[in-house]
Amino acid sequence: MVGNPVQTARIYNSRGVDELVFLDIFATEQDRNLNLKLVSEVIKECFMPVSIGGGIKSLEDINDLLKIGADKVVIKTMALKDPKFIKDAVLFFGSQCISIAIDVIFKDQEYVIKTGPNFDEMNLTDFLNSMEDCDVGEYLLCSTDDDGMMNGFNIELVDYVSKLTNKPIIAIGGAGKPEHFVTLFETTNIEAAASSSIYHFTQYTPQDVKNSLKTRGFNVRL
Amino acid sequence: MIAIINYGLGNLASVKKALDAISVESVITDDPTEIRNSSAIILPGVGSFQQGMQNLRKSGLVDILTDEVMNKKKPFLGICLGMQLIFTDGTEPEPCKGLGWIKGKVVKFKNNGMRIPHMGWNELVDVDETKFSKQCQGDYYFIHSYHAIPENDFIVSSKVNYTEKVVASVSYDNIFATQFHPEKSQKVGLELLRNYFEKLS
Repeated sequence: MVGNPVQTARIYNSRGVDELVFLDIFATEQDRNLNLKLVSEVIKECFMPVSIGGGIKSLEDINDLLKIGADKVVIKTMALKDPKFIKDAVLFFGSQCISIAIDVIFKDQEYVIKTGPNFDEMNLTDFLNSMEDCDVGEYLLCSTDDDGMMNGFNIELVDYVSKLTNKPIIAIGGAGKPEHFVTLFETTNIEAAASSSIYHFTQYTPQDVKNSLKTRGFNVRL
Repeated sequence: MIAIINYGLGNLASVKKALDAISVESVITDDPTEIRNSSAIILPGVGSFQQGMQNLRKSGLVDILTDEVMNKKKPFLGICLGMQLIFTDGTEPEPCKGLGWIKGKVVKFKNNGMRIPHMGWNELVDVDETKFSKQCQGDYYFIHSYHAIPENDFIVSSKVNYTEKVVASVSYDNIFATQFHPEKSQKVGLELLRNYFEKLS
């Protein structure tokens, strides 16, 4: 998000977006917790599902977020560090509210996951298998190379991952115009995409994207 | 005053927020007196069936809820897990007993290639027009891996098409329960809640 998150959430709610994903992408790196007060203010604006992520390290962190109205929590670093934690979280809160963020880069002819400055790179397929084993609820699949570039989704990556799992996948990274969403849904078998740059830096609104999909025969909520 | 049952599971804050938005007074509670004195009961819930029943038993609320809903016929709204728990039998993660107010079983989606959990917006089909006014028909938000199969089909007031047509809501006597989340379904969801509580008052 750019600007004031609470105002932005209010606008997204009034524009009828299908879901809000709110990530504090520097929480882990800067070794701090989510600002619960701010997150709570954001959630208050939303009458649609909300996923919250950033710096989640314990079952208590998850519980804090669910208690203030988050529908799902998004976990990245802890999933790479400690799959057992993810397993516990799924058992305790149910798989439907545990979303896993996967930030993928293409390096030396294979997909690997950026694991932060202090970890080794991990093979994407190995990581996915460990998460499948935990029965997580969904994946937020981000192509780091394409994120913010607004040149289209990484279709190849989405297609590759979608064949490895039967869980819902939200594709992130690369959307710059409504046509990019059409291409994504026409060429892969996933059903969700998330994006921010397109709404912050172009004239397109979520409604424009949905209208484009609708005219191409996709079942979207208008 | 509407009692939103607090049994340590689920989206209590979201339900309260939705009721606040439509100016319906409610309280999140596990207090027996407050529940007894309420004008209607909402059982929300997110999580597993077995955990849900365990929590209800632990909080000592099973008998009170059953008495209020089944004997005193207090209006009851169940949401998601709160709908599933009113059935006789659950299977999540293993076979277990529910509240048993409605005969039927809650089972996992058949794996026929569709992505599970069923997560996202979907339209209601086979809608009972007497239960859903025109303004309340549309897309609702679903998030579930299990669905209910009632013994008697006549209590089903709407369905959703995912892997096959499955139950989206049941309506029977003083019970109305939804697999979807009206509190998360923006305008149409708030409209459904407004309608529901207007009819009660």
